[in-house]
Amino acid sequence: MEAIAVLDKVSYIYPNSKEAVLKDISLTIDKGEFLGIIGATGAGKTTLCLALTGIVPQFYGGRFFGEIAIAGLDSLDYPVSELARHVGIVFEDPEVQITATSVENEIAFALENLCIPREEILRRIPIVLKSVRLEGFEKKNPQELSGGQKQRLAIAAALALQPDILILDEPTSQLDPIGAQEVFATVRALKEELGVAIVMTSHAAEEMAGFCDRIALLSDGKLLALGTPEEIYAQVDLLKQKQIRSPEVAQAFNYIQQKGIDVSPIPVTLESAIQSLEPLRSQAQLLAPPDFLLPNSNNLNKPPILSVKNLQHTYDDGTEAITDLSLDIHEGEYILIVGQNGAGKSTLVKHFLNLLKPTRGKVLVRDRDTRELSVSELAQSIGYLAQNPDNQIFNTSVEKEVSFALPFLGYKSEVVKQETKRSLKAMQLWEHRHAHPLSLPKGERGRIVIAALLAMNPDIIIFDEPTTGQDYQGSTSILEVSRQLHQMGKTVIVITHHLYLMSDYADRAIVMGKGTILLDAPLRQAFHQTDVLESTYLTPPQSVVLSQKLSQICDRQYPLVTPEEFANCFTRKN
Amino acid sequence: MKFQTVQYDSLVTRLDFRSKLVIILSITILAFVWESPIAEGILMLAVILSSILAGVRLNYLGTLFKLMIPFYVFLILSMGFFNVEQVKLLAHKSELTTIFSFPQVWWLIGGAKMSLEGILYGLNIVFKTLTMTLVVPLAIFTTDVNQMTVGMVRAKIPYKVVFIFSSTLRFVPLLLEEVQLIIESQCLRGLDFEKMNGLKKAQVYAKVAVPLILNSLAKSQKLEVVLQSKAFSGSSNRTYLHESDLAISDYVLMIASVILFVVAIALYFSFGIGKFGWLIYQ
Repeated sequence: MEAIAVLDKVSYIYPNSKEAVLKDISLTIDKGEFLGIIGATGAGKTTLCLALTGIVPQFYGGRFFGEIAIAGLDSLDYPVSELARHVGIVFEDPEVQITATSVENEIAFALENLCIPREEILRRIPIVLKSVRLEGFEKKNPQELSGGQKQRLAIAAALALQPDILILDEPTSQLDPIGAQEVFATVRALKEELGVAIVMTSHAAEEMAGFCDRIALLSDGKLLALGTPEEIYAQVDLLKQKQIRSPEVAQAFNYIQQKGIDVSPIPVTLESAIQSLEPLRSQAQLLAPPDFLLPNSNNLNKPPILSVKNLQHTYDDGTEAITDLSLDIHEGEYILIVGQNGAGKSTLVKHFLNLLKPTRGKVLVRDRDTRELSVSELAQSIGYLAQNPDNQIFNTSVEKEVSFALPFLGYKSEVVKQETKRSLKAMQLWEHRHAHPLSLPKGERGRIVIAALLAMNPDIIIFDEPTTGQDYQGSTSILEVSRQLHQMGKTVIVITHHLYLMSDYADRAIVMGKGTILLDAPLRQAFHQTDVLESTYLTPPQSVVLSQKLSQICDRQYPLVTPEEFANCFTRKN
Repeated sequence: MKFQTVQYDSLVTRLDFRSKLVIILSITILAFVWESPIAEGILMLAVILSSILAGVRLNYLGTLFKLMIPFYVFLILSMGFFNVEQVKLLAHKSELTTIFSFPQVWWLIGGAKMSLEGILYGLNIVFKTLTMTLVVPLAIFTTDVNQMTVGMVRAKIPYKVVFIFSSTLRFVPLLLEEVQLIIESQCLRGLDFEKMNGLKKAQVYAKVAVPLILNSLAKSQKLEVVLQSKAFSGSSNRTYLHESDLAISDYVLMIASVILFVVAIALYFSFGIGKFGWLIYQ
């Protein structure tokens, strides 16, 4: 294979920093290959991507050791603008990387900067738009595009430079499942049709296992392992230790392996796992499906804590976001709300919080119409954690942040102190009470906002996309907080696209699509209605699909939802 | 939210941005020089009429008027009551026409007179500022952003400045969305803005600035890296996708507006057309 980029003993230290972010990395990227880079937040993935473009160290400065050659050009000898002809890069945030006010201008921007003649720019625009399936969008304002379309536009703009390597740094982490699928499909087609080498970082283990030719595992700035997805993702325990999630099928077969059943090689894609089912059955004894208890239904006979009655909402521009939706939520439930962007999730939740008023129908919180309740009254019933907790932080210490809203609610200073202390302790923030909120890591900042909500003692707490843009560790730690709140007796509502993260937490799932409820069922039941999930482009967890295949093969129902549950159905043959 | 509000094709939208700049400049200077409420009024009506013909949305004009009304009422009243000496000089009168006065016995404001000339002068300022505020959107709302940037580059404005201008148009709506989001998030922390007094409200609103500035800093840092990856150097030595060629109509319009401007200025100085007393006191 012909090498297109060669890294030789690369180390890098950012200015004003002592610790190296990249440590002695040697790596060769071949022409036309798809290389995945995985690692926990802070492992050095983004820095490695920037080093491949020359932006590190040319733009940042700092201390750089070793050599990087891109298409034969040394990354220190050639300016970033020259290297840009060979390396294109797409970043995580679709909003920031689009600078122009029309699609064609966005694609032309880098070409114009490189003094490419106008005729050539005009020739390339339709070609790259076709390769990302955005034909006919030339004159559109990028702001009118969906998240997935924006990322595809960013890819088209990078492709217009006709690069030898295309780097994508977490291109799907801010997108909903449709958007993520669009981006993955586009990237795969590019690799197959144009032969561009692709380097992609992502936390989406299932997709990476399916798409990549090779995977590089970074940990703490070092290249810990390099190999095929089968070689890397099969090391489930090593990855877990490095805070990286393996695909669910790899986790399931790893558990089985640990029971002393030889299932090597451990499959890492759904297809290979399905193929491994027959050999597995011949090697292991299959147990009867366990009896799963339905979630605690004690409260279902009581009046609901939150009730939506025939809700309809039409926005000023005439878009009907919610059509005749009714829903009861009972005290102590843990509810998952899923659906695509535009399915009506946010519109629904905004009605709970009185940020939107119903066009028809009503929302009742403990039998009181939300329209009659003030914002502060509602805040004492419902706490809301925004997708970006930083938007809810504006005080100079953790303690002030948590106590901030209480005086406005008419609490006396004694009570303010008492409630603040109680919630700081509950969220394990008491030690950090004097720290500046923004000096704590992102996961902790979410906890500060939760502590502030908790101080108002609400019955219901809503988590809006708490796992978007987070790595596995970040996602599970915030979900653990949600579990803790649930155990404290709170009603918890989580909105997310990441179904596979929720199997261990939620009791009930509400699937929304086109402004209505497509499915409202206990989580286990809902996850197994795969046709409904797929009809709204949601990907059921691999364990669910795998257990359905198992049910088909042995003609018994296995309503499993996690890798452990799947593994626990097998035991060694005597 | 988009800046270009005019959707359909018209003579104004087809003009080059440079010819629009020449027209803006001539109209602004004229509005600035003239003092006659009649001349200013006619100029303002002409600008409003062309805005409507060019398709600038009526509700935009309505909002603008609504915003300006308190300021204009204050302006007319203060000119009517207090601007005595300047108006006497402009109207070549030693005594102004009183249309209203407060009884002498009233405390502080007793004896204050409102003069007709003062009010006319106030109207002149109202029309003048309206002309100036309306002529800018007439040019900007009817021009595609890309045409604007290319037009500016052709007018020899450095590309760095032009880029700042065009990316402002791209990022300001994003920023406004973010402000909305932050205020919403703060409401959801239980802050009841309706129940707060003005001072408290202002304090809390000021806190919106904290996340906003931090987010903007993070964004601008990301943007810098993005620009690097797109080979942006700020140099004017680059090619352009859009061409901006002056059509005959552009030349005609530019020449016509310059001629009209010169004639108007000549008439002003030689015959007093457009001076304060024109058609009123002469």
